[in-house]
Amino acid sequence: MTMVRRVLSLTSGRIAVVILVLVALLALCGPWLAPQDPLATSDNTLASASGAHWLGTDYLGRDVFSRLLDGSRISVLGSLEVALMALVVGAVPGILSVYSGRAFEWLTLRLADTLVALPFLLFAIAVIALLGNGITQAMLVTGALVSPLFYRVSRAATLAVARSPYVEAAIVSGASVGWIVRRHVWVKVLPPIAVALAQTIGVGFVIVSSLTFLGIGVQPPAPTWGGLLASDLGYLSHQPWAPVAPALLIMVTVWACNLLADAIRDVSGEAGRALVDRRRARSRTSTSAPVPVGGSR
Amino acid sequence: MPRAGSPPSVAPVRRIPVRGREFLDAPTGPAPALPCADASTTHARIRDDGSCECRAPLLTLPRLLLPFSGPDPIRENEMSARLTIRRRPDARSARQAGGLRVAALGTAFVALLVPALSACGGSASSSAGSATLKWASSYFPSHWDPVVSGSGAQFRELALVYSSLTRTDEEGKAVPDLAESWEYNAKGDGITFHVRPGLKFSDGEPVDGAAVKSAIERAQKQKNSALFGDLTSIGSVKASGLDVTLDLTQVDYQIPQLLGERVLQIASPKAAANPAKLDQNPVGAGPFVIDQLIPGTKAVLRKNPDYWDAKNIHIDDVELVSAPDASTVVSGLQTGVYNFADLDPSQASAAEKAGLDVFSQPGFNASNISLNVNKAPFDDDRVVDALRYAVNRKEFVDKLTFGHGESTDQPFPKGYVAYDAKSENAYPYDPAKSKKLLAEAGHRPGDLKLNLVIPAEDPQAEIVQSQLAAVGIKVTIKIDKNWATPFFAKDLAFSLYSTTGRDSAVQTLTAHFGPNGPLNLSTPYEPDGFKEAVAKVRQTPLDAPDYAQVLQAATRAGLESKALIFTFSSPNLFAKSKTLSDLPKNPAHIDWTGVKIAGS
Repeated sequence: MTMVRRVLSLTSGRIAVVILVLVALLALCGPWLAPQDPLATSDNTLASASGAHWLGTDYLGRDVFSRLLDGSRISVLGSLEVALMALVVGAVPGILSVYSGRAFEWLTLRLADTLVALPFLLFAIAVIALLGNGITQAMLVTGALVSPLFYRVSRAATLAVARSPYVEAAIVSGASVGWIVRRHVWVKVLPPIAVALAQTIGVGFVIVSSLTFLGIGVQPPAPTWGGLLASDLGYLSHQPWAPVAPALLIMVTVWACNLLADAIRDVSGEAGRALVDRRRARSRTSTSAPVPVGGSR
Repeated sequence: MPRAGSPPSVAPVRRIPVRGREFLDAPTGPAPALPCADASTTHARIRDDGSCECRAPLLTLPRLLLPFSGPDPIRENEMSARLTIRRRPDARSARQAGGLRVAALGTAFVALLVPALSACGGSASSSAGSATLKWASSYFPSHWDPVVSGSGAQFRELALVYSSLTRTDEEGKAVPDLAESWEYNAKGDGITFHVRPGLKFSDGEPVDGAAVKSAIERAQKQKNSALFGDLTSIGSVKASGLDVTLDLTQVDYQIPQLLGERVLQIASPKAAANPAKLDQNPVGAGPFVIDQLIPGTKAVLRKNPDYWDAKNIHIDDVELVSAPDASTVVSGLQTGVYNFADLDPSQASAAEKAGLDVFSQPGFNASNISLNVNKAPFDDDRVVDALRYAVNRKEFVDKLTFGHGESTDQPFPKGYVAYDAKSENAYPYDPAKSKKLLAEAGHRPGDLKLNLVIPAEDPQAEIVQSQLAAVGIKVTIKIDKNWATPFFAKDLAFSLYSTTGRDSAVQTLTAHFGPNGPLNLSTPYEPDGFKEAVAKVRQTPLDAPDYAQVLQAATRAGLESKALIFTFSSPNLFAKSKTLSDLPKNPAHIDWTGVKIAGS
């Protein structure tokens, strides 16, 4: 909660949280908020924005606004899948690699190197060809490929703590590895992981949008932000403005994730505490009454 | 990330003091990384005081994916430190910042200006005075061996390199190509072609009866041949000098029509001895010779001086490229990157507005919904009929062809000799009747669930889904990248197919309705009376007065098939620069004979 309060004390943090809450609401309630059936076709194709169709209609006469709202859920869930998969697959081995012996360390390091080297798009296509076209398969695969980020972040943070004098003192005192991880490592690893998670959710949005833009992971006519962008591009000569809405939605969401990651990074650790304290002090100074030059009467 | 073709970017370097004595050259921006004690997991950053600071390396994947520069979570300490030692901006750094802003704005301005100015270049149909055809094709061949490539739309591109015994004229009738003439025997079960004298392939091999015999036998016997099913009427082949005689398994007057560019493009027998090599190094006796082939991307060709009709080929060079996204083709034509391209109907109005010549070649395109009557629920005639009545063809035409196509309920467009007017509109759009038939078959609304398997995203599928949803059938679209395997193995129950037709109407009919027709998803099913009707067409000479009548009767018999529901005919739409003269209107073909490029 302290971390949340600190993040919200920053303007950038507040902006990010507001945007992401709105996006989360879209994901939860989007399909119900959609004014029309997002899959219902009509004869009114490629229509301009109007009262009936706020963002116009697509090439099959479907309401674009409704499709955008309906497509939020897949896009948000997909990016969360990527981030959580990456977190689970990456962070736990990252911490364990410091304590579980050289063989495990060597194996996980080489595995992380291999995953980094794999081109995610080709790998995702190959896995989809093997397991069938579906957003879950695509996201789980991509999550595994992004997991080295968490692996290295958690490992680097754990290494820094593991070699500190107070941990060595705890080991000498007979503390178990589990206790050390819970008591000392976890608190140090958590902030960089939180930053990485926020950033990866943003990356996840781009990945989901990229894959669905290419028609990978989602079966038509299910709408997604990336899919809407792709379908609009084919009709640019009819509706040059059409890609703006899905592109803007993707852009703003990714920006908010990065902003949140930025805010978490700024307020974590000793420096973060100092920053927040300094801001508080500054705000207290600015709210107190100004002292007139030459003294008061 | 540098784009292909752009010069490699060179990062500016800054000098970093190491322990106050030496300097390291490192890119400006992120801190330089050096191996540290744990080189595999962390990197070292040289601090200004010369000490080493460990940090995790940046990962390339998220960085490449992320268009917005987000924070680097693993640089927490560095960023925190910066917060504590941040100095106030002085006048010098303010000036530097201002300079940077000006530089950034200037760069952005140049980045916008360069493409804008290059777009004003106008059309460039030719370079250095030679007539160059720059063709952006959506059907860039994946195979250049005509036996492997088959009868599909890409035969038009292969026809740049290969010639055939016959070709079709503007009425779709067979006329001489490599063969200057032919004659049937009295019974009609044998035909002799006479090859033009003095012709040779681009590798110097002679074009003669033996070469034709080799081409036919290769198409019949090569393991990966896509054509053997089209040549079942040919029993044996005899070659003698420039003559080649085909002994037929049945009376068949369709052979000259059949052995045109779609089915028998003739490759040099010497080159064809290695089919794998031929597949990427085509050697024919066509109007052009290939100079360079980048598989799947680009082919560069030059005029073949030994082509039999070289005097009527006025194009010196051809650059055939695989068309990029449909929406970029028009701008490519406008800027002279291409001067000829096939066009998606959605781009037609943009092309017209851009002042390009937009035209439609006559053709035999027909799209269909393929059903497998050997599998449930299509083994019930009432369900098949329900689907037939549920299809609103006008919606396909309006939404997919932008008014350039037309609806069809046959594998031929209206006006073609094989089009049977008596079968027209046999199953009009009638959703109420469709629902009734489904109810009679015992399916309540929403009960019937079908998987529509297609190879790639296709608005056709979404229209089918929506039209069937209106009568209570729930369709799930499944994209299968390996679609061709189950489709041609007849393992699917429900799919879509679009054909560009065949030069021989009989070939079109047997491909769709024959017991082993590649486009008959219900093999070995064949509608009653179809076999006899087709045999009668084969036995009727093409110039017989009742040929059209007999052919249309065969179409009528084929349309009794419950395996296919034809929907619409998309146009053969093209756009060209005005510097190109008009093309001959050969149905479904692209013939470069007589075409000129102005300004060359």
